[in-house]
Amino acid sequence: MIKNALKRFYLILIVILLYAPIVTLIVLSFNRSKSRAKWGGFTGKWYLSLFENEAIMSALYTTLVIALLSALIATLIGTIAAIGIHAMRPKMRTFMMAVTNIPMLNADIVTGISLMLLFIAFRFSLGFNTILLAHITFNIPYVILSVMPKLKQTRKSTYEAALDLGASPLYAFFKVVFPDILPGVFSGFLLSFTMSLDDFVITHFTKGPGVETLSTKIYSEVRKGIKPEMYALSTIMFVTVLILLLLINITPDDKAQKKKVKPTTNRTFCKRVKTLLRTVVPATIIILIVTGGFFYKSNNGSSSNNQVIVYNWGEYIDPKVLDLFEKETGIDVIYEEYETNEIMYPKIQSGAIAYDVVCPSDYMIQRMIQNDLLAEINFDHMPNYKYIDKTYLEHSREFDPENKYSVPYLYGTVGILYNTMLVDEPIDSWSCLWDEKYKDSILMQDSVRDAFGVTLKYLGHSLNSTDLDELNAAKQLLIKQKPLVQAYVIDQVRDKMIGNEAAIGVIYSGEAHYTKSENPNLEYVIPKEGSNLWIDGWVIPKNAKHKENAEKFIDFLCRPDIALMNFNYTTYSVPNTALRDLIEDDELKNSPIIFPDPADLVNCETFHYLGVENDAIYNQLWREVKSN
Amino acid sequence: MKNKKILTGPYMLWVIAFTIIPLLMIVYYGLTDTTGSFTLKNLAAITTPENLKALGLALLLSFISTFLCLILAYPLAMILSEKKVNQTSFIVLIFIMPMWMNFLLRTIAWQNLLEKNGVINMVLRFLHLPEQALINTPYAIVLGMVYNFLPFMILPIYNVLSKIDKDVIFAARDLGANTVQTFSKIIFPLSIPGIISGITMVFVPSLTTFVISDLLGGSKILLIGNVIEQEFKQGSNWNVGSGLSLVLMIFIIASMAIIAKYDKDGEGTAF
Repeated sequence: MIKNALKRFYLILIVILLYAPIVTLIVLSFNRSKSRAKWGGFTGKWYLSLFENEAIMSALYTTLVIALLSALIATLIGTIAAIGIHAMRPKMRTFMMAVTNIPMLNADIVTGISLMLLFIAFRFSLGFNTILLAHITFNIPYVILSVMPKLKQTRKSTYEAALDLGASPLYAFFKVVFPDILPGVFSGFLLSFTMSLDDFVITHFTKGPGVETLSTKIYSEVRKGIKPEMYALSTIMFVTVLILLLLINITPDDKAQKKKVKPTTNRTFCKRVKTLLRTVVPATIIILIVTGGFFYKSNNGSSSNNQVIVYNWGEYIDPKVLDLFEKETGIDVIYEEYETNEIMYPKIQSGAIAYDVVCPSDYMIQRMIQNDLLAEINFDHMPNYKYIDKTYLEHSREFDPENKYSVPYLYGTVGILYNTMLVDEPIDSWSCLWDEKYKDSILMQDSVRDAFGVTLKYLGHSLNSTDLDELNAAKQLLIKQKPLVQAYVIDQVRDKMIGNEAAIGVIYSGEAHYTKSENPNLEYVIPKEGSNLWIDGWVIPKNAKHKENAEKFIDFLCRPDIALMNFNYTTYSVPNTALRDLIEDDELKNSPIIFPDPADLVNCETFHYLGVENDAIYNQLWREVKSN
Repeated sequence: MKNKKILTGPYMLWVIAFTIIPLLMIVYYGLTDTTGSFTLKNLAAITTPENLKALGLALLLSFISTFLCLILAYPLAMILSEKKVNQTSFIVLIFIMPMWMNFLLRTIAWQNLLEKNGVINMVLRFLHLPEQALINTPYAIVLGMVYNFLPFMILPIYNVLSKIDKDVIFAARDLGANTVQTFSKIIFPLSIPGIISGITMVFVPSLTTFVISDLLGGSKILLIGNVIEQEFKQGSNWNVGSGLSLVLMIFIIASMAIIAKYDKDGEGTAF
């Protein structure tokens, strides 16, 4: 008995380990605060706003359709292949099984990259189809591996008996063999479906514009903090599957029925209920979900050629602005997001996808101009261009000397966010990032240029330095800093600072405003040594197919009311001269974070593109820091 | 029965088009430079101190987590295999169920549990126990690996264990073997295919992960997966990235060879 109790205890322990994060996610889905790090009280509102969130719903739809299609096709190909492999000689069979194991054993990252290289080499345009092909590829092995054992259990003699009795091979197969392997086929299908649903890495490498699955959507949201609707959706999906499983598995107990002698009518009734519960209910739910998805999509599907393909940072535009643009102009917006300039650049450069309008940062705009990837913008089409603040057009000349290729969209500074509860001295210098006092309480930016930029500024150099001595000095300083750093982060710095996890964080000014509103103990400062002033601007790639639509789109974003919407949504500074008067909140209007005093910007520089070789040097030095 | 072999045709084509050729593409990129001429420089990139360190650390952490998975999974698989057939399909599904919550979300949720002010430390504080620094340490990464890949260890071991003929065990008992002997002489040797397959199914993804080390290691800890990901995404140097992937593939091929040696009939498959 003690042994049994121990076993049960152990089982429960493992289940707790597996389900602890899931419970956490469910709890988060009821959290009123948008930040992961703070409990803001109970709410069910995310479950309602989920269904209004078109981006998430369409990602859900894509995910389900890809999972369903890839699982179906993989099951078909896999089952047929398994039958063939089963009939092979042992040596050949071992070889085939080894080949089958490749996608399962190969690292996701290698599989994803290899497929991406293939698709690009053969000029497949990356999109829904490439994801589907990739998913089928990694799903087939799961089917084969679930069908093979069942095939081994079947007896050859029954099949041969059927043939002897005059059945055609096909008929004999479906009557004799197929029922035996059906459970294997079914579990192969289910596994494929689950794996496709859960995949991130391979989808990440093989997806194209306008197509997002839930995984890639979540990944692009990690930058900005996961939207609570995502937690709500996951909870719904999880609970649905749980209910399905309970229905399929927990049905009236056979044994209990056998022991008790029951009237036959009752028993057939029980049986009927059981089949109903086991098959009809789950099937109806699945059909409902899928048809619901199709219905949803057919309502929102876009088919016209009058479109504009936008490639933008994650969470960098108010989704309502896109709706409004579609409504006012009749142009369909195909919208895709990226996480870093470096992810965006190769996609534009390879020309695999013809984006119409992209929003890179300063130094990347410079690089794209140098490599002749951008088209000149025709400002005659843009009556609202006049609202763009001249100060920032002037700053833009650092990377776009004649203001010909780019229109500034959002800007900000890089500075220090500190928690007044944990820091009791005034902070005005980068030096605090090297202060032993704050060991394990410092959050550093996890990007080469930002990390080196901060350090170079602290040393009194330009943040565009290419002087090897200066860079090596910066590297030494960063290595010295590493033991003090709690984590290298990008936008996770927000949640961590809100949750009082760290005392000091290097942060973008736009994030600083939001974090301050969630946690009033946080203060933002641009250090006296100077910092980075960054400008992200809209550009039109040379290979854009809808240039005029792209210009209309950029012009639309320059309109003051639209600029206000985007400002409210992103909390980043918008270089629009009419904006300040539109803001009603006095505190916002006079916030030095959002509208920095030009005097504070004197020591600030924008990043420049330093060339391939210098980039490689920076990356190399950064890797030395990180691996030290 | 010869015509049945033809049935593998579509699959063969598929494998060649979407598995073999893509791998050859990696080989091509890995052995050429940006101008397309042959070079071994990309492979040699692994020998720089920081890449070697990333590889070494990845090997160490994945060894540890594979070992932990094995220790945790084996008893569990034994307990599960003793259950009646009816129950087991449900119990096994319990271990697949978490995959219906997105992998990234699950890992992010661990941040909430492990942080300084996270759930675990709150419980410790409540119990007046010393708080632990968990997040952004190698321990957190190992935990993330064990958590994410444990089912891949449980399922194959469970599968081989439940296939062991009970009569063999009874026979051993009848012949006077005690519990320990039955385990060491009968059960364990018979479960080796499952163990081997479980080990590779945990080891390879742990060795190559970049997401777990990113999310739970605070990007302070660089594994070989992160290096490769950065070559493709940040450094935009596909050739070096492919070269490093080739180095990783050596480990993958080694695991496949081991599987082929110990598990000729594919008995130890997970599913």
